Amino acid sequence: MSTMDTVTEAAFHALAEPHRRDILRLLRDRPQSVSEIAGQFDITQQAVSLHLKVLRDAGLVAVRPQGRHRVYAVRQEGLAGLRDFLAEFWPDSLQRLKRVVEADDGR
Amino acid sequence: MDADPVTATVHIDAPPERVWDYFTKPGMLVRWMGEYAVLEPEPGGQFTVNVQGAPVRGRFLRLDPPRLLLISWGYAGSDRLPPGASTVEIRLTPDGTGTRVDLEHRQLPAEEKSGHGVGWVHYLARLAAAATGEAGPDPGMRQLPPLGAERAPGRHRSR
Repeated sequence: MSTMDTVTEAAFHALAEPHRRDILRLLRDRPQSVSEIAGQFDITQQAVSLHLKVLRDAGLVAVRPQGRHRVYAVRQEGLAGLRDFLAEFWPDSLQRLKRVVEADDGR
Repeated sequence: MDADPVTATVHIDAPPERVWDYFTKPGMLVRWMGEYAVLEPEPGGQFTVNVQGAPVRGRFLRLDPPRLLLISWGYAGSDRLPPGASTVEIRLTPDGTGTRVDLEHRQLPAEEKSGHGVGWVHYLARLAAAATGEAGPDPGMRQLPPLGAERAPGRHRSR
């Protein structure tokens, strides 16, 4: 599995949970701290922290210090840029094509 | 300004006539690329495929079976690479008993430093699906719902 597939898979897993999607929507507006985020949900701050960890592991958000707090922000560059993505996508895809066609051979 | 083209090449141990079908028949295309496809392999016909949730939308621009395919390639709802914005040329050349596949993806936009990569197209497509209530609690990439007003896999649109 390519790096991009792994990254995408992690991102999709992260996005499969509704709270995490809501958190990303919040962070798209502006970077926020855990307590700020938690204040807008009916789940505990601990649960929000766990969701943020999944989002961070998937490369969708980044954390940085701001004063005494740590704020979370969406990470635009977390997923590869378009050309970089395609530069991996096409060779990977053609390799899959090769495997499929050659496996079909002689049917 | 355009970025350099993306190129990829592979040798396949099958003649061009067989490889051709894997680009032009939806059921065969999705075995190596995407989960859902509607293909109209004629000049101007649609080239529609959802790849890991990203809605690729384009048209067959030129078909010279079994040697050359020119397809436009973009993403529905994308500002960076909307449908029709870029082209993919696929050349199938006899190579011994097999085929050399040369692919060139052209007219790609130059990258911005913090631009919206295709990852954000994936992300926004998922959000759109979620917003319409189609996303389940943990949809795997193979179970993504059809996007927007599209119909079930394999069927042509009515209009």
